[in-house]
Amino acid sequence: MKSRQLLQNLAMPLALLAICLFFATRESAFLGPRNLTQLLVEFSITGTLALGMFMILLTGQIDLSVGSGVGLIGGIAAVLIFHHGWSPPAAMLVAFVAAIGLWSAMGALIVRERIPSFIITLGGLLIFKGLFWLVIQNSTVPVSRGDEDNLYSLLTTYYLSKYVGLALGAGVLLLLALLTWSTRQTRQAHGLPVPSASQAIFVWLGATVAVLTLVLVCNQFRGVPLTLLILASTAGAVYFLTRHTPFGRYLYAIGGNEEAAVLSGIAVKRVLIGAYALMGVAVALTGFMTTAYSGASTTTVGDLMELDAIAACVIGGTALRGGRGSVVGVIFGALIMTSLLNGMTLLAVSPEAKFIARGVVLTLAVWMDVKLGRR
Amino acid sequence: MPLLAARHLTKRFPGVVALDTVNFELQAGEIHALCGENGAGKSTLIKLLSGIHPRGSYEGDLLVDDHPVRFSSIRDAETAGIAVITQEFALIDELSVAENIFLGRPPRRSWRVDWLEMHRRAAALLLDFGLAVAPEAPVRTLGIGQKQLIEIVRAMDKRTRVLVLDEPTAALTGAEVAVLLDHLRRLRAQGTACIYISHKLDEVFALADRITVLRDGQSVVTLARSETTIPSVIKHMVGREITDLYPRRAGRLEALPDCAENLLEVRHLTVAPSRGEAPFLHDISFAIRPGEVLGFGGLMGAGRTELMMHVFGAWGHRIGGEVTLRGQPYINPTPGNSIARGLVLATEDRRRYGLVLEQSVGFNLSLSSLRAVTRVPARIDQAGEYVRNQQFFESLRIKAPGQFTRTAGLSGGNQQKVVLGKALMTAPAVVMLDEPTRGIDVGAKLEVYELVNRLTSEGRAVILVSSELPELIGMSDRIIMLAAGRIGGEFSRRDFHPEKLLAAAMGRSAA
Repeated sequence: MKSRQLLQNLAMPLALLAICLFFATRESAFLGPRNLTQLLVEFSITGTLALGMFMILLTGQIDLSVGSGVGLIGGIAAVLIFHHGWSPPAAMLVAFVAAIGLWSAMGALIVRERIPSFIITLGGLLIFKGLFWLVIQNSTVPVSRGDEDNLYSLLTTYYLSKYVGLALGAGVLLLLALLTWSTRQTRQAHGLPVPSASQAIFVWLGATVAVLTLVLVCNQFRGVPLTLLILASTAGAVYFLTRHTPFGRYLYAIGGNEEAAVLSGIAVKRVLIGAYALMGVAVALTGFMTTAYSGASTTTVGDLMELDAIAACVIGGTALRGGRGSVVGVIFGALIMTSLLNGMTLLAVSPEAKFIARGVVLTLAVWMDVKLGRR
Repeated sequence: MPLLAARHLTKRFPGVVALDTVNFELQAGEIHALCGENGAGKSTLIKLLSGIHPRGSYEGDLLVDDHPVRFSSIRDAETAGIAVITQEFALIDELSVAENIFLGRPPRRSWRVDWLEMHRRAAALLLDFGLAVAPEAPVRTLGIGQKQLIEIVRAMDKRTRVLVLDEPTAALTGAEVAVLLDHLRRLRAQGTACIYISHKLDEVFALADRITVLRDGQSVVTLARSETTIPSVIKHMVGREITDLYPRRAGRLEALPDCAENLLEVRHLTVAPSRGEAPFLHDISFAIRPGEVLGFGGLMGAGRTELMMHVFGAWGHRIGGEVTLRGQPYINPTPGNSIARGLVLATEDRRRYGLVLEQSVGFNLSLSSLRAVTRVPARIDQAGEYVRNQQFFESLRIKAPGQFTRTAGLSGGNQQKVVLGKALMTAPAVVMLDEPTRGIDVGAKLEVYELVNRLTSEGRAVILVSSELPELIGMSDRIIMLAAGRIGGEFSRRDFHPEKLLAAAMGRSAA
């Protein structure tokens, strides 16, 4: 039992290690600072979307529309800036509000009209794709006018300076230590079980090694990318929401047993609409980052990203039927997914083979989910 | 020589003996009724007879034509000529009448289905039964009574010698019942034997040749219809001593002034399952005062659970009537509002409606009352939550390694305590307990009863829904029996006679 649990906990880090070793032996540039920084940007994009998807999957629902949505929301902002001369913050704010509105509406349709989320969001996938192409007129719309940098384009091209990066890393580690220590104190004071001191220190040391390596590697290239901060804040927010608020508890309860949740007095409909509204936030953030990363809004932005997000969640142990999963798992899942895609691109694997590999990974992940779910 | 005989059947479920050396005989060409309270063992017996509980899962012998038989599946029983028609139809709504009649064994012409032959034979069978239904009609277009007859037609086409009917008239109208009974009499005349299970003793007496009464898993008596009466059958069904198993502290209610305000008052409630449907609950009124235990009894399908779920805000569409909760009119109930106003429901089917089994005991305990431990703006004070959970975890004596144990691994009684704990943690004024002791062992039952006493001594009101008459009689201060969605009778403590209560549940004013 104990060793089995350990194996389950270590499965993802080991898989990640295996993938990295595989690509590193085939192409030494994989572990070079330039590629790793690029990988981190891609990871931030997939991870942010996956965190939104995570909350949807927790309730036992699904969202297939986010890929098209990412394109649409990024496209709206780009068109407002490039064609209409809006200031980037205003354009992004409008697109952001649009995303929350659209996703709340989808959520409301799902819960009030009792249409399965699979169908509603499949409709969304097609409608948003159509709207997206309409908005950008099937053309390529740059995220900034001329070659100047603006808030939008800087999203994926801004890097923290070396010392800021280091200071931030140290700050995060200090905060982590403080939080660990203080929760430990309160829990002990109330007789709650706590992990052993050596275990807590071990975890913190692990985090320290990871964060410092990350910062140092990034500093070898241009510094810590801004997108990583966006992902980190999103992850922190989602972690807090799911672990420390009633809303998060309700997500797990609805996914675990929706009828019991209703009879426990939970406003299930409101919680579900809330989850979709938050998905809208994740879609907007991802939309801006993806579009900025490709430099312009084009018809292919966001293609199939919904599947990467779902795969990341499921690889990370989120149950498709709801009620089980964790933020840390989703982060690992996104990292695994991104490493695979990035490595294959680096090895110049043909697009045909990449599609097949993505499909195989998604299928394997769901197969694992089914296996685990039967226990 | 009996057509079908059961000798010394004993069937055990974990913690319960469902059947205890039951004997039963069915003669060819007789209609034999099985009577008994809920949980007396009727359903278990027919599950044995029909192969649903396969050989080896019980002790004793089954004999067909005096030859021992050992069914390992429903198919084996059907081969031996025994067909069961249950309360849930085994018909496929989207298929036609003919397809349903020949489901799994359509007439063939080499490897193809012979549709012509199927429709021809179906039409002949339907004509034989006097059913004015087209063989091509989809089953979903039929009424409940017709569906029931289609099932019987199907059974008869399979050369069935023993027809087992489990509550066949529960959902039928008076006219449909008459049609069904006529068909059964006709089949009897043709030599088909029938085991007939029904709570409706009028029907039983209009139809059966003999009646076997089951009680607490034992076959009590077999009577010839011509030599017995309805009251005597009821007496056999109930006949047991009510002992100190139910420690209701009497005298509490007498101490209350008559003018004490009603905590919950329901007036002329009429409710349909959903908008536009016919009412299921009719003109129901009751009230409950602080410190009182109001028992709700009735047969399966009488509407007890639906009534509780409706008042709680989780079922049905209100057509008429009103509810007053703690002196305030209570309109548009939802579970969330009910809990906020001090009305809580601990559900009957705890695995389906009560618990998130994958999660921990603590998660489930605090699920309905997270607000109490949530700090501004929206953070759960996890230490405070743990301490609060721990109080209930300990006072309810939940047997588990700790709050972090997965709920799925707990025994039935302990799961029930988690459901009760979740309800009580909302600090309710009115607690509705729907079958709180179903499927739990005697010790745990006693703890539930003690809990009821504790709640009422704190001035709360408890509504106790139970299928077990002794429990109702032992624990209630007042009892309301529901019969087919209506109030069949209200009884105060001195009128608690099992016969009267059961008669009220069957919709008979006096027995």
